[in-house]
Amino acid sequence: MIAAAEPVIPDFGRGSSCVRENGTFCWEWVRDHWGDTLRPALVQHLLLTLIAVAIGFALAFALALAAHRRGRLTTPVVLVTGLLYTIPSLALFQLLVPFTGLSRTTAEVALVSYTLLILFRNTLAGLAGVPEEVRDAARGMGLTRRQLLWSVELPLALPAIVAGLRIATVTVISLATVAVFVVNEGLGAPIYAGLQQTFKTELIAAGALCVALALAADALLVLVQRALTPWTRVARSR
Amino acid sequence: MNSENTAQTEGSHGYPRAATLELRHVRKLYAGAARPAIEDLSLTVPAGEICVLVGPSGCGKTTAMRLVNRMIELTDGEILLDGASVLERRPAELRREIGYVIQQIGLFPHQTIADNVATVPRLLGWDKGRVAARVRELLELVQLPPELAERYPAQLSGGQRQRVGVARALAADPPLLLMDEPFGAIDPIARHRLQDELLQLQARVRKTIVFVTHDIDEAIKLGDHIAILREGGVLAQYAPPDELLAAPADEFVASFVGRDRALKRLALSRVGDLTLLPANGAAHGATIDPDTSLRDALSLLIADGDRPLAVRDGDGRVAGLVSLELIRAALHPDPAR
Repeated sequence: MIAAAEPVIPDFGRGSSCVRENGTFCWEWVRDHWGDTLRPALVQHLLLTLIAVAIGFALAFALALAAHRRGRLTTPVVLVTGLLYTIPSLALFQLLVPFTGLSRTTAEVALVSYTLLILFRNTLAGLAGVPEEVRDAARGMGLTRRQLLWSVELPLALPAIVAGLRIATVTVISLATVAVFVVNEGLGAPIYAGLQQTFKTELIAAGALCVALALAADALLVLVQRALTPWTRVARSR
Repeated sequence: MNSENTAQTEGSHGYPRAATLELRHVRKLYAGAARPAIEDLSLTVPAGEICVLVGPSGCGKTTAMRLVNRMIELTDGEILLDGASVLERRPAELRREIGYVIQQIGLFPHQTIADNVATVPRLLGWDKGRVAARVRELLELVQLPPELAERYPAQLSGGQRQRVGVARALAADPPLLLMDEPFGAIDPIARHRLQDELLQLQARVRKTIVFVTHDIDEAIKLGDHIAILREGGVLAQYAPPDELLAAPADEFVASFVGRDRALKRLALSRVGDLTLLPANGAAHGATIDPDTSLRDALSLLIADGDRPLAVRDGDGRVAGLVSLELIRAALHPDPAR
C-alpha cells in the first residue's frame, strides 16, 4: 500500500518556507490550493449531502405518512431501515459496487440508506406526538383527514422532523468522506490524499472543512426551524 | 326557561337560527363490547335551548353527544337536525355546521388565537375580510381583549383558552353547539364565571346547545332541560331543572340530584318572583333586595330568629315581606306557578 502510493513531493523550489519544511499546518498551502482542490471538494461534498438527505427525506417521509395511517407498517420499516443503518459504511459501499459500479450513484445509495431510520422514526414520532385533543377538535370542526395532516399534524411534527434532519445531515456529511472509496469526490478526496503523504495540511484542512460544513448545516437547520415554528418560543404565561 | 320558538335574531350580530335536535331510538354498540353504551335513547332538544346531559361516568352521555356530529357512528336509530338526518351528510361538512367544544379545548398550539377562531370560516371558504371581521366580533363576544388575537394558545390562561374554544365553535354561526364538559378542568371560581358568561352569551346568540357534564349543579344552573342518564344511556328523566328537583322520577334521579334538592330548587327562584306579604309598617328583620335567591333568603330567615325579611326595591322602598311560610309555599305551589 505504502509502497504503491505515489508520494506527493512538495514543490521545494517555490513553496513557502512552511511547506518546504513540512510544517504541521500551512495557511499558504490552503490559500494556494483553495481554488483547485479544497473548494471543488467542498462543493462536491455539499452536493453529495444535499442529494442524499433530499432523497432520504422523501422516502422516509412517504414511509412515515403511510405508517402513520397504518400502524402495522411501522415495525417492518423500522426493521429494514434499522438493518441498513447497522451495515458498516465501508462494507456497504463495497457491497454496492457490483450493482452500481464505482459511481456517484453507489455513494448516494449508501448515504441515503443511512438517513432512512432517523428520518422515518423522527417524522413518525412527531406525528404521533400531536395531542389527541387537538386531533379530536380538528376532526370535530370538520377538517378532512388530509387537512388534519397538512395543516395540523405536520406543522406540529415539525420540531421532531427538523431534529431528525439535523442528525441525518450531520451523519451524512461525516459519512460522505468514506464515499471516496467508490467515487473520487467530496472532501474525502483531499483527506484520502492527505493520508497518503507526510505533509498533513491537506488532511487537516479538508477535515476541518468537513466539521465546519456539518456545524454550518446544523446551524442553518436550527434557524429554519425557528423561523417555521414561532409558537415553540413564546413565553408560557401559565 | 325559553319556549321552543325557532329563536330569531336580536341585535346587530345577526345570528340567524338555532336547530331542533332529535334523537330517535338511538343505539350504540361499540365493537367488541358486551353491552351497548346506549341502549335506546330518544330525546328532542327544542331550538334555542340548552339541554344538559348529565349522569355518572359510563352512562353514555359523551357518546350520545358525539353521535350527533358523527365523531362516533351510531349502530341504530336516527338523529335529525331540523328534521334532516345527519347520516345523509358527509361527516366533515356536517361538523362544520355544528360547534364543538371539548374539555381539553384542543386549540391548535401552532396557530394564533385569530387563526384558531378562523378555522371553520376558512374551511367554508370565507374571504379574508369577512374572516377578520368575524374574528374581531367573536373575541368581543366572548369578552377577550383584541390584542390576544396575535398570541398563541400557550400564552393564555386556562379560562381565556376556554373562551377561545367557545369563540372558535361559534365562528361559522352554527345552529347547534356541542359542549363536552367544557369547564371541567377549570378552577371553581373561573368555572362559575364561565358558566355565567355562557348564559349571557346564550341570551344573545340563542343557539341549541347540548352540554355534557357530570356536575348536577352545573346542569341545574345552565340547563333549560336536563336529561339524566343512567348506565346504558337510559334516560332516567328529562325535564326542566325545577321539575327535576320538585319531582324526581325515581330513586336514581333523587339520589343523583341530592338530598338538598329542595334547597337547590329554592336557589333557582328570586325573592322578587314571589307575591310578597304586605309590609304595613310591621316589624321585620334584615333587609334584602329582590334579586336575592329564595335559598339565601331562607338562610337569612333561619339565622335571624324567624322574623320576616323586608324586601327593598330599587327606589329603596320596602316592597313587602318574606316569611318562612311564604318560602315553604313556594316549594309547593297549589296548581302551578
